[in-house]
Amino acid sequence: MLLLQLLINGLQVGAIYALTAVGFSLVFGSTKIFHVAHGAAFTIAGYIFYMLTVKAGAHWLVGLAGSTVAVLAFGVLIDRLVYAPIERHEGSFFTVFVASLGVATIVQNLIGTMFGRGFVSVSTPLSKGVEVVQGVYVSPLVGISVVCGIGCFLALHLFLTRTHVGMALRALGENRDLVRAYGLNPRNLSTLALALGSLLVVPGAVIAAASSGLNPAIGAHVMLISIAATIVGGVGSLVGAACGGLLLGMAENLAHWGLASQWSEAITFVVLLLFIIFRPAGFFGSAIKT
Amino acid sequence: MPRLRNFIAQGLVLGGALLGAFSASAADVKIGAVFPLSGPNADYGDTFMLGTNLAVEHVNADKMLSGTLSIIYEDSAATPQRGVIAANKLVNVDQVPYFLSAFTGVSKAVAPISARTKVVAINGGGVGPDLATLGDYFWNVIPLADFELKAILPYLTKKKGAKKFVLIYVDDPLGEAMKKGLEQGLPALGAQLAAAHSIPPTAQQFASIAARVREVGPDLVYIASYGLQQSQIIKQLRDNGVTQQLAGYSGMGLPAVLQLPEAKGLLYTTQRVNFGSDDPVTKRFISDFKAKHKKEPSPYTVNYYNSVLLFAQLAAALEKGKQPVTGENLLKQRLATKEFQFAGGKVSFEQNGTVVSPIQINEVDGKGGSTVVE
Repeated sequence: MLLLQLLINGLQVGAIYALTAVGFSLVFGSTKIFHVAHGAAFTIAGYIFYMLTVKAGAHWLVGLAGSTVAVLAFGVLIDRLVYAPIERHEGSFFTVFVASLGVATIVQNLIGTMFGRGFVSVSTPLSKGVEVVQGVYVSPLVGISVVCGIGCFLALHLFLTRTHVGMALRALGENRDLVRAYGLNPRNLSTLALALGSLLVVPGAVIAAASSGLNPAIGAHVMLISIAATIVGGVGSLVGAACGGLLLGMAENLAHWGLASQWSEAITFVVLLLFIIFRPAGFFGSAIKT
Repeated sequence: MPRLRNFIAQGLVLGGALLGAFSASAADVKIGAVFPLSGPNADYGDTFMLGTNLAVEHVNADKMLSGTLSIIYEDSAATPQRGVIAANKLVNVDQVPYFLSAFTGVSKAVAPISARTKVVAINGGGVGPDLATLGDYFWNVIPLADFELKAILPYLTKKKGAKKFVLIYVDDPLGEAMKKGLEQGLPALGAQLAAAHSIPPTAQQFASIAARVREVGPDLVYIASYGLQQSQIIKQLRDNGVTQQLAGYSGMGLPAVLQLPEAKGLLYTTQRVNFGSDDPVTKRFISDFKAKHKKEPSPYTVNYYNSVLLFAQLAAALEKGKQPVTGENLLKQRLATKEFQFAGGKVSFEQNGTVVSPIQINEVDGKGGSTVVE
């Protein structure tokens, strides 16, 4: 029964990790921006949901709408005000990385100043587990996490494969000059990638607010998992990032079966290390040829 | 242009001289503080500073010292590595004679710096029993975990009837000390530690720990962690079917835990502070704190208020005797003083530099407060 319980827990955590990893992978794959502030979008989404539903007492749908608007604005603004000027001045990959890290730090401190630096959570009956089989507790949030994960991923897949804008976004990661030659604006597409990538953190952030709770530094953990999942899944592959996120969530929870509890976090990096050594291209990434 | 350059150069020299003269004439007294001001334990830093800042206000308002007292805050992020950097800066660059420390791991890391440089370090937040053995220059104004366990274990086993314990402990010196304390203390009381789950300080997912706790079926779950992780553990245990009695040490006395609905009924220990005491120091502390923050002070706030007050009392005595305020003299003065008037009553120090204080057991009400049950 313990194994079944750990699998269910892994599924919930993995679904959240998968969504955040896909968002990061989308941004990195299409724009080549190492968007470390992706974790900050997660923090913003969670705290806006908390503020609207707990502090302001609004309906959860209002909270969800507020979070969505806030992260969309964050994605657009960071691209226009931070990444675009750096790109105009032909800043290096490292410059963009440092700028993104700076934004993440500022957001963390702003959130801490506004909401306090302690733990906050959204109380809901949906997070309370009920015993479905003897010794196995499942909360409605598990189902919601999985449905959200699959739904968001399918919607994104359809958008990227069936719409012209989606195809242009994919093309942006392949050949920026060619995109320009077709009369499209790479800058606008970058903004769209940032907005979409940020949008994908909303379900995970809202579920985290109700299940494990929030703190201003939560973005750093999210970012670490997103990077690991992207590498495990294969850089540039959204399916790979989703599988990578799911695998890491599963591994983190299944580590409790037979291993001491303190290994649960380390197992993420053991998986990452094994992939780097034995399959550097990840699940679905292609090997880089020189 | 040469005239302009000369003018600027002369201005800079004059400015520097004035600044130097001003610094030399000012008799400001500076002490340091190595607190967690960022990261997941920053909540503690905020709580500590409520006490230290109020103490500085009181000391300066009373003109206890010849100059103005101020505190240089440095961020440890609750990690030993950053704590050492912060302590080195305070001791070597700012040359403070006294600095405040917090957290068991950080305190153990900065204690050698304090001993080597003969600068007093005082802890009001860490409770690892080892903190009583860190040398003459490391003091504690908080009773340590062994005293807390000695107080709560008989209560939990006899009054609450708990015989089978599970421990969830953070993988650091504090957690290890708590584990050792439970392993040694429970058998004598006819109880047992059925399982102990160590967790990294950065862990945030505890649903699977809850599953393992349920498997053991304990009477009680003791949590030895700190910061926001405590709230995450409590919430996730309750959300995932762990209904047993929860208990913890003084680290639970944080607003985030006390306000958590899932924490209702949790038992935890703190030192006994008599807020109803008639002495003017306690009365002033309580009234000013409540007027300023519209809430009751936590034991941590009291401890760090007292830490600053202790420095002021010792430094004032040294100034009166025309002795310089150095770490060595502060130690001599402390050893020469039998009792100190603190917020919460009079206290004395044991030979090892740790205060003697009774312990009380509190029960969390889940609405931001707690009641004393023993």
